[in-house]
Amino acid sequence: MNPAIGYTALIAVSLATTAIGFYGLRISRTTSDFYVASRTVKPWWNASAIGGEYLSAASFLGIAGLIVISGVDALWFPIGYTAGYLMLLFFVAAPLRRSGAYTIPDFAEARLESPVARRVTSVLVVAVGWFYIVPQLHGAALTIRTTTGLPSWVGAAAVAVVVCLTVVTGGMRSITFVQAFQYWLKLTALAVPAIFMLLLLAGTPDSAAQLATTPPAGGILPPAAPVTGASVYGTLSLMVALLFGTLGLPHVLVRFYTNPDGAAARRTTLIVLGLLSVFYLFPTMYGVLGRAFLPGRDSGGFPDATVLLLPGALVGGPLGDVLSALVVSGAFAAFLSTTSGLVVSLAGVISQDVLGGSVRGFRVAAVVAAVVPLGIALVTDSLALAGSVGLVFAFTASTICPLLLLGIWWRGLTDAGAVAGMLTGGLLCGAAILFGSQLGPEAPWRGVLVQPAAWTVPAAFLVAVLVSRATRHRRSPSVSRFMAKLHVPERPLAVDEPRPQGG
Amino acid sequence: MSHPPSHPPSEPPAAGRERVTAPRTPAPQFPGRTTVSQEVAEQSAVGEVMVRSLIRSQLRLGLVVASGFMAALLLCWALVAWVPMFAGWLILGIPAPWILLGVGVYPLIGSCAWLYVRAAARNESRYRDLVDGP
Repeated sequence: MNPAIGYTALIAVSLATTAIGFYGLRISRTTSDFYVASRTVKPWWNASAIGGEYLSAASFLGIAGLIVISGVDALWFPIGYTAGYLMLLFFVAAPLRRSGAYTIPDFAEARLESPVARRVTSVLVVAVGWFYIVPQLHGAALTIRTTTGLPSWVGAAAVAVVVCLTVVTGGMRSITFVQAFQYWLKLTALAVPAIFMLLLLAGTPDSAAQLATTPPAGGILPPAAPVTGASVYGTLSLMVALLFGTLGLPHVLVRFYTNPDGAAARRTTLIVLGLLSVFYLFPTMYGVLGRAFLPGRDSGGFPDATVLLLPGALVGGPLGDVLSALVVSGAFAAFLSTTSGLVVSLAGVISQDVLGGSVRGFRVAAVVAAVVPLGIALVTDSLALAGSVGLVFAFTASTICPLLLLGIWWRGLTDAGAVAGMLTGGLLCGAAILFGSQLGPEAPWRGVLVQPAAWTVPAAFLVAVLVSRATRHRRSPSVSRFMAKLHVPERPLAVDEPRPQGG
Repeated sequence: MSHPPSHPPSEPPAAGRERVTAPRTPAPQFPGRTTVSQEVAEQSAVGEVMVRSLIRSQLRLGLVVASGFMAALLLCWALVAWVPMFAGWLILGIPAPWILLGVGVYPLIGSCAWLYVRAAARNESRYRDLVDGP
């Protein structure tokens, strides 16, 4: 690929991102502006921003790569990524917005009235965020290497620097604009080349026929892999991780605090589901086209680069260059938006718990939140992107998810129970992934260890419930009031009782 | 339910210009967001019962829609994995499992979400009617 394409795309997206970030600076004034955009973001903006933040390297590059490798079974990934929002809508969205907390640790402290529970939650949130940033930086490294030929570290470092600049200067308000812009950029960057490629295929009967008439047995659109005990367990465990992991992702949850009220939080989620459903049609299409038309079916050993290489390979010429530039800029938008969303939420947590919560502390924390995963990304190798993000989901589902679900719906949860449950889930899940990755591919328990959500999530819930029952006396005295706050609907603004506004 | 005379809020009114400080404490609710009747309802025994029943009905709703969705997902999975005839079926030249998992599941997700949002809002307005009385 012509290196100029990569440079142009990277510079254009970075400039657009920082420009919108600076525009937002004029609006951020107070701490509340900085953290949660003063809670006045409209559902459409907010939903676009959630979509922009959520569609990461795993969605933009990873799904197509996985389809190239494993065919129809890979389609469970986008289904899980989308359906996770369904669980978020059912069990978390509106109550969390009403909780009045700024971050997940804030929620833990308010619900359980325990600084210890807050600390444990903070540590877990930071761990989740760092593990989630690493695959984004790997994706950036892969993209830079594929498109410009520069060494991998340049891509990771460029993303970290641009994110730090945006976050440090504007906070959440500008991030909302940046993220919303980036959803639409990502959608356009996949959809326009996809439409061109399909038109081209329709215009050349030979290739269209090749796609349409290949016998379904084997070939381009193979049936699902034969069912075995291991594959049943693997799919189930993956779905548990993806369905219940989404509702613990810190950068997604912080977005729900920016809704005006609980009903708006639900409307936002509904729109997000629509946006994600539209988006995920395209990575699937790229995966299928990649299976059919990329020579060697493995894009030079990097299936995750399928999306980047496909428009150039299929369309060619100057139009192919333009389409490639579009796809590359979409990929960078994916890395930038997810990373900046994570950095914002981590910076919120770190600055409140360690640095005293000032805006200056927030800025310092943002740099820390970006630099640590950059270090990890530089010393580790990239796994398949969709797979490594799937592991982060398993970890979140085993730690943050029990805290949120039990905290919102069960009065009996105590601080001891929540901490015990989160630690059990976190330790089991972390140990299983680390230990499982050391085993050879033929080891008998490897499948159960590398995809642990199916047993670590129930274990975390079980421990949380049992310990809470054993420590009944530690129940928070204000739990009834807090539960009412979570679930009772708000009034529309300024109705029957106008309260004195300060002034 | 009677409305007691309006009283000043428990927290001091926010200053016009806010100083940038740590939001260590939970964020203040928007002023004007809670009514007297609502506050009374939350603190009295009757109010407690009403809130509990609201929580129960929202939880039940969430669980019902979630299990329906998961059952449908399991059905899709069974079709793709265990029904060879389905796997061999072509729609516009594309095998049915690809259509089902690549496209067909998403309208299902959307309709579950839409149903839930409507029903949850209905539960809340029923609660509001109860609290405010006729």
